[in-house]
Order: sequence, then C-alpha cells, then structure tokens
Amino acid sequence: MLLVLLTLGTTVSILAAAMFGRMEIPALGVFKAIAAGLGLSSGSGQDPVWEKVVFNIRLSRICLSGLVGLTLAAAGAAFQGILRNPLADPFTIGVSTGAAFGASLAIFLGLGGQTYLGMGFIPLAALAGALAALFTVIALARINRQLRPETMVLAGIVVATFLAALISLIKSLDEESVSSIVFWVMGSFQGRGWNHVAFALPYMAAGLVLIGLYSRELDLLSLGGVQARQLGVNVDRVRLRILIGASLLTAGAVSVSGVIGFVGLVIPHLVRMAVGADHRPLLILSGLLGAVALIWSDVAARVLLPGGEELPVGVVTALLGGPFFCLLLKWRKERGGLD
Amino acid sequence: MLLPSPAPASAFEIVDDTGRTIRLDKPATRIIALYGAYNEILASMGMESRIVGRTKADVSPPSIVSRPSIGTHMRPNVEMVMGLKPDLIIQGAGRKEAMMPVNQLSKEGLTVAVFNPTSFAEIFSVIERIGTLTGEPVEADRLVSSLKGTLDRVKKRLAAASTRPKLFFEVRYPDILSAGTNSIVNDVIEHAGGSNCVSVKKKLVRMSIETVVACNPDFYVVQEGPMNRNPVPPGERPHFSALQAVRDGRVLTVDEQVFSRPGPRSVEAVEQLATFLHPQLISEDKP
Repeated sequence: MLLVLLTLGTTVSILAAAMFGRMEIPALGVFKAIAAGLGLSSGSGQDPVWEKVVFNIRLSRICLSGLVGLTLAAAGAAFQGILRNPLADPFTIGVSTGAAFGASLAIFLGLGGQTYLGMGFIPLAALAGALAALFTVIALARINRQLRPETMVLAGIVVATFLAALISLIKSLDEESVSSIVFWVMGSFQGRGWNHVAFALPYMAAGLVLIGLYSRELDLLSLGGVQARQLGVNVDRVRLRILIGASLLTAGAVSVSGVIGFVGLVIPHLVRMAVGADHRPLLILSGLLGAVALIWSDVAARVLLPGGEELPVGVVTALLGGPFFCLLLKWRKERGGLD
Repeated sequence: MLLPSPAPASAFEIVDDTGRTIRLDKPATRIIALYGAYNEILASMGMESRIVGRTKADVSPPSIVSRPSIGTHMRPNVEMVMGLKPDLIIQGAGRKEAMMPVNQLSKEGLTVAVFNPTSFAEIFSVIERIGTLTGEPVEADRLVSSLKGTLDRVKKRLAAASTRPKLFFEVRYPDILSAGTNSIVNDVIEHAGGSNCVSVKKKLVRMSIETVVACNPDFYVVQEGPMNRNPVPPGERPHFSALQAVRDGRVLTVDEQVFSRPGPRSVEAVEQLATFLHPQLISEDKP
C-alpha cells in the first residue's frame, strides 16, 4: 500500500517538478516537451527552446536529484543497519569527504573547466576521491581480517577529518578557487545534465544490487555480530560487501551532486517508524521517499531566490532536515529511546 | 562546371581568449555579459540597448539595472539565459572554473565568447573583437583611441617624474590579499608611474603583514567594494604604523569596480592613481 503510494508519489513528483522553473512554460507545453524529448511526438508547434529547457535542463536535473535522493536514503538505511548506529549515514564512513577532497583538488588544479565525457572533470575526481577514502577506511578498520562496526566509525571519522584538513589546505593555497570549492562542497544540482545521470548510474545500480542481495543478512546483522554468526551468516564477508555496496551508492551520488546531508540520516528513521526494521521494505521505501524528498528540496533550491540565483540543495536539506531530525529524536526518546 | 568556391569567411568572426573561433552570421544584437566589465565596454560603444540580461551583481551602467537578472557570473541560470534568446554571451575567464557555465551554455547551442584581459593592450584587443562581433568596428576604434589618448596624456605628464614610488594595493583585509603582476591592477600601477610591491605572477596574492612591512611602500592603496567591505582605516590597524606610507598619511581608498575590473574605466583608475602618486606633475597643467 505504502509502496504503491510512494511509487505514484515519485512519478507525480517528477512530472510536477518539471513545471517549476524560471521560464514560464504552460503545463501543456511541459508535457509536450517531455513527450518530444522521449521521442513520443515530434513536439512541433511550440517553441523549440521549451523542449530543450524542459527535457535537457529540468528533467535531467529532476531525475538526477531523484536518483541521488534514492541512493543516499537507501545507503543511509544500510549504514544504520550494518553499523548498528542510529546516527550512521553516508557521511559517517568518510566517503563523502573523500569525494569533496577529489572535487576540491580538481577545482584547484583547474580541471573544473575541462570536459570529460561531455561533462566537467569534477565528478570523475570526486568519484576517485570517494573510492580512495572508502578503501583507506576499510584498510584501517580491518583488524585480523575482521571488520568491526565501532572501528569502522572511528576510522571513518579519522579519514574524514584528515581529508577536511587537506581541503582547507587547498582553499588556503588558491584564493580564486575558494568560492567554487565551497559551493561544490555544499552540494548542488545546478548545471547537471543527462551525462551526469549516465555517469553515476552504474555505481548506483551496482550498489543497489549488492545491498539488495544481502538485505536478509542485513536484518540478521542488525541483531549484532554474535547473533548473526550463530544464525549462520559469514559476518565479515557480508559486512564488507554491504559496506562496499552502500559506499558505491554514496560515491555515485556524491560525485555528481556534491555533499548533500540529512537525506540519508532522516529518511530511514522516518520509514522505520512507519514500517519497522525489516530491511527489504525499509530499503525500498527509504529510497522512494528519499527520491521524493530530494526532488522537492531541489525545486525549492531552484526557485526560492530571486534574480536567477540558486541555493545549494545541500543547504536546503540541512535547513529542513536538521530541525526535523531533532523533532524525530525527541519524539522517539519520549516513546522509548532510539535503537 | 561549378567549382566549390571557398565559403567567404564571416565578417563577424574572432578568436576568443580560449583559442576558440567565434563566428556569427550577423552582428550580435541580443547580448548577455556574465562579467560586468563587458557591459561597460558595450555601453561605451553606445550599445546599451543590445544588453538583454545581466548578472545579479552588475548594475553598471545604471541603465542596465532594469534588465532581468539571470544569476551570477559563475552560476548563471541556463534556463533564464535561453529564455532571453541571446545571440552572444560574453564570459570573463578570471577564474579557471568560469569555463563551467561556458560549457553548459555552449552545449545548449548558445554562442559564448570568453575574454580574460589583464593589461591595457588586452583590453583594447577585447574591445576590437567585441566591435567585430557586433558589427561596430568603427565604434570600437573610436573607443580604443579615446582610451589610448587618455593614457598618452598621463604618460606625457609623467615623463618628468624622477621616481617610481613603491605601492601596495590591498584587495582585501584582514587576511591581506594583494594584486599580483598578472592583473589589470598591476598594469594600472605601471601606467600611473608606480611600482607594485608584489612581484608574484598571479592575479591575487595572499600576503602577510610582515611582507608588507618588508616592502615598506611609499603609498598604500585600499580598494573598497564587494571583496573589501568597510575596511578598517590602515592608521587604526595593529602593526600598520610601521609603514612609512601610513605614517605620512599617503593612504588612498579607491573603488574596487574602477580599479580591479578590466574595462573602459581602467583608464580612470590610471588618472586617479597618477594624481595620487605624482600630484605636482599631474595637477599643474590640468585644464
């Protein structure tokens, strides 16, 4: 029931969000432009600029924000399950800071204006940074071939803090790049297109498949390592694979969007309250709700400021997510604690 | 038999500062500059009416304030830009990432010329090329010779100057930032008969107070504007009393937009600075 509702909500959100923008295009024009962009009609009889704006600029961006919301929320649910920590989210593991470092380095080296696969070089550098951070954290956290949740969180914080220092170093070395780096780190979908969708999709898909395959083990793991082992789970191997899956999701998302906080943290909690801790529905519904939430956050980011300026969407999610998380925390404490 | 005759090169064709060839079929009549100096160049050539949009920060000349704002220099709103149907977009490439919006806009089929002047010679070249793209080469020549005329007048008056006083140009305070040699400010200082304390070949250079004291400039110039809002007067700052310029009161506050923006008003900056550095030479034969 909830699944049908959310799937419908996502579809409606994608279409409705395409109505919002700085150029005034009537609803019918938007639909015609989408149809034409998908090759369903010739789209003749209306301004050809409309089709470009609706299909290339708005729709690609909506799809990208939906995908990023989906993956961040699903990754958040997986991280919270595997690390057994209600505060775990795609950032805990240091992957996001790794991406931010990769992007900052690319901006510093002047690669921001270069193109690669028809888009800026930055997503590639961000992805490399995210993956490098992940493997560093795993290498640090693996003791006797065992991957323990507590050590993971610690290693994640250490790596993230060190990388944040390197970002500060880059910022202090290059005065002219500071604002670009700051803006990228805040997270935004401005100027993203279909090639960004195509770039991130393989990592996201691989991550989703990996987590999906182990969603049952995730239920057992969230009981604790000892119990899971007693129930026949190869704890170390499964932990590592889920971790890589969730990190791939994060890396794919962050590489094209920058750092977008709170989606991966808040959404799984919200869904867990509605459907319980069973991971299969939790992952799917978190993903869908995450997509809807980020699509609308991005609409807000696009239209709130006057004069063609945009808010970074990461700022919107933080402004909405922060207070919301506080309420959630208080509410759940009153009903018997966070678990 | 019809031999394919070579297509006549368009009259409205230039090579921009990224080395790309920019070709228009007809003179540009709907123009958006993503960097303010180019609005000033267009206005100086009598083409204010061709400016169809502006960035949020650009309000000079005042007549363009009524044009729709399409975002910022680094992050223009592509949708709004397309809606205005410009036939020419001009971007300034002071920063490396300024190419990001250029790539985006070009991908949507818009024509974007990129300029990055850091000296008077380059400003003149930009004006000539804008003249070509707009079909107004005569206006461009007129503007260039008028600007050159002003510079020549200053040069003649400075011919008798015996010294080239040392000058420190403050871009921002308190974490002091100065103009390096790869900036229009440096050329303004040269043309005004001064010498820049900073010899680093960058546009902006981070400075410590120690370096400033070591240079001990004869003149201290503070720019006031978006990068340096309400700077503390140098005389009231810690450590600045060590500077000869501050002790002698040879401190000048200038308008950031006039000094740091490579455009027609850069010659105003030269006149203003020359008067400050060499008052006896400049003022005596002023009309």
